[in-house]
Amino acid sequence: MTRQEPLRVLTVCGVGMGSSLILRMTAEDALRDLGVTAKVEATDVSSARSMGADVIIGQGMHTGELQGIAPVVITISNFMDKDGLRAQLAERLGELGWLN
Amino acid sequence: MAELTRAILEARVRVSVADWRAAIKAACQPLLDAGAIEERYVQRCIEIVQAQGPYIVLAPGLALAHARPEDGVNRLCLAAITLREPVRFGHPDNDPVEVVFAFGSPDADEHVGLLTALAGRIQAGLDRELRAVTSDAEARKLLEAIGDGD
Repeated sequence: MTRQEPLRVLTVCGVGMGSSLILRMTAEDALRDLGVTAKVEATDVSSARSMGADVIIGQGMHTGELQGIAPVVITISNFMDKDGLRAQLAERLGELGWLN
Repeated sequence: MAELTRAILEARVRVSVADWRAAIKAACQPLLDAGAIEERYVQRCIEIVQAQGPYIVLAPGLALAHARPEDGVNRLCLAAITLREPVRFGHPDNDPVEVVFAFGSPDADEHVGLLTALAGRIQAGLDRELRAVTSDAEARKLLEAIGDGD
């Protein structure tokens, strides 16, 4: 599967302006570490369904209902855990051949 | 940073609460007292967790309570409280919670700089520093220093 540059990433939470914004920063850092050019947006879980993305990241209580919405859906409990998110992104993006 | 100088910042340390609802109320109370948010905002913060689950516990021991601009926000504001006894929010991995932040933003954008700075300071250990201080004034100083790295 090929993808467009930049990678389109959504960080999701219930309202779309607090937790997901914090997660956006963690995701931007992790993607930068991986050398992936990405556009990361924070949004609420219901908007995420209609926005379309390559990658969706959120808590399990949200990603559970978003499976299949994007090629990569990643569940993370600790939104401050950049290393953990980077490892998950590396694995999942690598599987799809999306890492350079 | 501009947002930070405009924002109302409040902190309370070692607050005693019975449960997660009381923890959210306690985090919002100083913002309510300052006139930055309205009573209905506090209720919405609780209702969002009831409806969506405890996703606001976004890291171990740490919750970020908030609702939407239209739920009753008068001024950009941020509060932090530390809890005397940790409480459970029902999060599968991040319970129990010892530090609760609450914020309000009057529109969809005004809080972005403030929360960006807050995230950076949490990465650098702000929650640990908040748990270590013993007075509200010291905790408030830690919040006021959030934007200093910029």
